[in-house]
Amino acid sequence: MTLRAQFLLATICAFVLAGIVHLATVLAIPHLAEKDAFSRLRATLSTDRSEIVAAPGDQGTWLPYPDPGVALSTCAYTLDEGPVRVSARTGALFQSLSLHARTGGVFFAITDRAAIRGALDLVVMTRRQLDEALASEDPDEPSRDVRIVSPAREGLVVVRVLAIFPSQRSEATEAAKAVSCTIDRE
Amino acid sequence: MRRASRGRLSERRPGASAAASAVLVVYALLVAAGLGLSSAYWITGGDYPFGAVRSGAWTVWPRAGSRDADPYTRAVNARTGGIPLGVGEGLVLRAAADDAGRALDARCAYRIGTTAPQARYWTLALYDETGRPVETPLGRASFSSAEILRDANGSFTLVLSREAQSGNWLMMPEAGAVNLVMRLYDSPASSGAAALDARSVPSIVRLECGS
Repeated sequence: MTLRAQFLLATICAFVLAGIVHLATVLAIPHLAEKDAFSRLRATLSTDRSEIVAAPGDQGTWLPYPDPGVALSTCAYTLDEGPVRVSARTGALFQSLSLHARTGGVFFAITDRAAIRGALDLVVMTRRQLDEALASEDPDEPSRDVRIVSPAREGLVVVRVLAIFPSQRSEATEAAKAVSCTIDRE
Repeated sequence: MRRASRGRLSERRPGASAAASAVLVVYALLVAAGLGLSSAYWITGGDYPFGAVRSGAWTVWPRAGSRDADPYTRAVNARTGGIPLGVGEGLVLRAAADDAGRALDARCAYRIGTTAPQARYWTLALYDETGRPVETPLGRASFSSAEILRDANGSFTLVLSREAQSGNWLMMPEAGAVNLVMRLYDSPASSGAAALDARSVPSIVRLECGS
């Protein structure tokens, strides 16, 4: 093979390899990122209450494109110690709740329309924890919990409360702060 | 003599070609790493690269807030710290240009209206290039569906400009590129962006530009 042919072959190989490196990098970014929402909120893993990430009209938040009319709060969770029970009380303001797996993807979202008597209660668990809960359950008295299977062991509960008028901002912030995320030990 | 020199030549040849191969292998690896890493870095540094649906001046990424968000969308969120709006919560529409395709500029005035897609509530917010809500002396960067003044038909007009206007008005920052984000909360459109036709989204018309 001439040097020129070898060079061409090497270049073709380089491009194929570059494609593989590109895909591997894109897939690895969520696992390696240090500025993603979960990593920034890792410190709040042990708290039982949601913490405000962006208050309405807040200019200082790290969250990109925050809605100036929305109070956004989060609970970071890990399912290692058991399922996580999320409970929110809904009020007059629009409120929505979503569950985000750590490496991306919203796997559940619900609005206050689905609340029963002003309460939104969810239990987030792994597939295995769900199987255990089903196995230990009394078949005559099934649990009324809304059980959501998380595709990852770590993730975020995200609460959004909308202040449609600026006068509702503090009310929205209080409502967003009042969501509890506790480890369910039964 | 001749045989000896030929022998020496054939001895030298494999050595030289091995060195050339080694150089080529290093070259291929360097090019692969450089191209692969830089292209991955570049494509995940801005907007979600795939899955955009256009409607008028607005762009929607309907799958960004779903379980089957593509790996590029996840990588973009991981790098920016973005928390997408879930499909069951609502839908995000973004515009960085007017109806004629000219980039939104803080030195120009724009008229936005007159309809919005169906939703329980919506908000319309103005951001600078970096994703911060604009900072103006008035301290207002957004309007909600409940605040906005409407005419008898229920349609609205919002003006974006530096100078004060009567009616619905958002103050522009002094200069720079801006972009608009409309969020539809609890909207039937969030389950399928196909329901979002260009007539239901607000138009963005450029009025005049200052210096």
